[in-house]
Amino acid sequence: MNVVVCVKQIPDPADPGALDPDTKTLKRDTKLILDESDSYGVEMALQLVDAAGGGEVTLVSMAPNNEVGGIRTALAMGAAKAILVSDDALQGSDALGTAKVLAAAIGRAEGTDLVITGTESTDGYTGTVPQQVAELLGLPSITFANHIEIGDGKAAVHRQTEHGYDECEVPLPAVVSVTAGVVEPRYPSFKGIMAAKSKPVDELGIADLGIDAAQVGWAGAGQEIVEIEPEPEREAGEIVEDEGDAHERIVAFLDELKVL
Amino acid sequence: MQFSFTEDQVLFQRTVRDLLAKECPPEVVRAAWEGEPAHAGRAWGRLAEVGVTGMLVPEEHGGMGLDETDLVLALEESGRVALPDPIVSTALVAAPLLRDRAPQAIASKWLPRIATGDALVVVGLDESPNVPSADVADLLIMQLGSEFHLVDPTKVTLNRHSSVDGSRHLFTVDWRATDESMLVGGEQGWQSVNEAFDRLLLGVSAQLVGLAAHMLDTTVTYVKDRHQFGVPIGSFQAIKHQLADCLIKLEFARPLVYRAAYSIATTNPDASSHVSMAKAFASDAATFVAGRALQCHGAIGYTDEYDLHMWMKRAWALASRYGDSRFHRRRVGRAIFGPDPQTQ
Repeated sequence: MNVVVCVKQIPDPADPGALDPDTKTLKRDTKLILDESDSYGVEMALQLVDAAGGGEVTLVSMAPNNEVGGIRTALAMGAAKAILVSDDALQGSDALGTAKVLAAAIGRAEGTDLVITGTESTDGYTGTVPQQVAELLGLPSITFANHIEIGDGKAAVHRQTEHGYDECEVPLPAVVSVTAGVVEPRYPSFKGIMAAKSKPVDELGIADLGIDAAQVGWAGAGQEIVEIEPEPEREAGEIVEDEGDAHERIVAFLDELKVL
Repeated sequence: MQFSFTEDQVLFQRTVRDLLAKECPPEVVRAAWEGEPAHAGRAWGRLAEVGVTGMLVPEEHGGMGLDETDLVLALEESGRVALPDPIVSTALVAAPLLRDRAPQAIASKWLPRIATGDALVVVGLDESPNVPSADVADLLIMQLGSEFHLVDPTKVTLNRHSSVDGSRHLFTVDWRATDESMLVGGEQGWQSVNEAFDRLLLGVSAQLVGLAAHMLDTTVTYVKDRHQFGVPIGSFQAIKHQLADCLIKLEFARPLVYRAAYSIATTNPDASSHVSMAKAFASDAATFVAGRALQCHGAIGYTDEYDLHMWMKRAWALASRYGDSRFHRRRVGRAIFGPDPQTQ
């Protein structure tokens, strides 16, 4: 059972991030860490490989400046190796550009039975990359998984819905995106951290993947961010004087929010 | 001499910090104040999983076989969250004591259990008869003069004593030494007692630095948020000076703690002086930061409902534990200049 997990390395959400006014994108010149929403995918992949009794977890990541900070954390958790794509030409890539790179990198991992991703990154939130990767690889995909079981060349997946979950089945290999919080990601042990340094990280550029620079980065982006604005300040709340009808106002307000 | 932590050690510190922030939030400390045993949270199991409890346990007993420089940052983090569990006693004192002095059968029985987090071992010294967390210990290692004895906690009588820090549950232990219970004695025994004392000092000093760092961090956050006269109180120079002084105290104490860890790890003959320097500076830094934190918080800092008091009281308790800064300055003085004239 070989599982590829797509992991994103993002600026530490604990530090206030900043947008670059020129490129209108998030500044990524600080040290990057593993996106917490991807740690659930790593944990699920490790559990699936354990349950299968063999195989390994390979990480795939795209990041500027050959950044490996976040990858090291996932390797320390127990992943066996990583493929990192880093190339100046990738700056400004949109979701589809990113998906092209990830799909090509996943193609470099041999004997892949399953590709796991998060549902969306914590810094970009497009939420479209997993499905795009599946389409580019020509693989079936299931989104929002909160439980995966492997057997008979198939994955039985619980797909989270608003009211519960759908039971789905998909032939392998497939791409499955997992929701945050469905498993408890292990903390990297000191032994794991020390071992991570000697695990192989295959660092590639887009030429190694046979990707044309015109298809990715600013050049290939099919979308443009035209304007960025600071979040509006929270408006003052409405104060209702209770003249015997306050409960009706509250019910009407909650009704308006569709929470009733 | 190059002395900085490796990338691995720093990454591990971050892991332990994240883990403890999640598994030992202030509610866990507050629960210990309200009577929960000082080992009720999930933190201990997690610390064992990542390797903290077994850091000094040899690999053949399921541990990591590493040294005090690998452990000291994790202990600092345990102070940052005011962890109630007896981590210093188990991981930094009992594990190497059993490793170095216990016969094979005893070492094989206890060291793997320490590494897996299954056993809490509490060490009691003659000079500090109030033993913290004796009620949750699976094994007590008690000093009697030049001897250490392995004591079954089910065969002792514990009497609870109050502490300024309500989350540290202190007990006097009524126990009986036998020939069979002796772990080490004689010349080796004295050496073990001195080593255990120095290790306790190192662990407590690391925790004091962590406590001070937390109090400073929370105070900086508070003074940015609390407004008076239309501006955050942190913009006033009087507040800035107080907090800058705190940072200086903290940053002067921290390298001494790391130095002490290195000295113990490398069996430096002056290690006892180095841990005393660390304890003196860490105690002073933590009590200084506690006082300034209280000043900067104003009245809310005095309330039970606000978390600050739990950190301050832990700092006060540990600052006087195993000798206050005055005691340890004298210990350093004696090491350099010889015994005090009046005691000659």
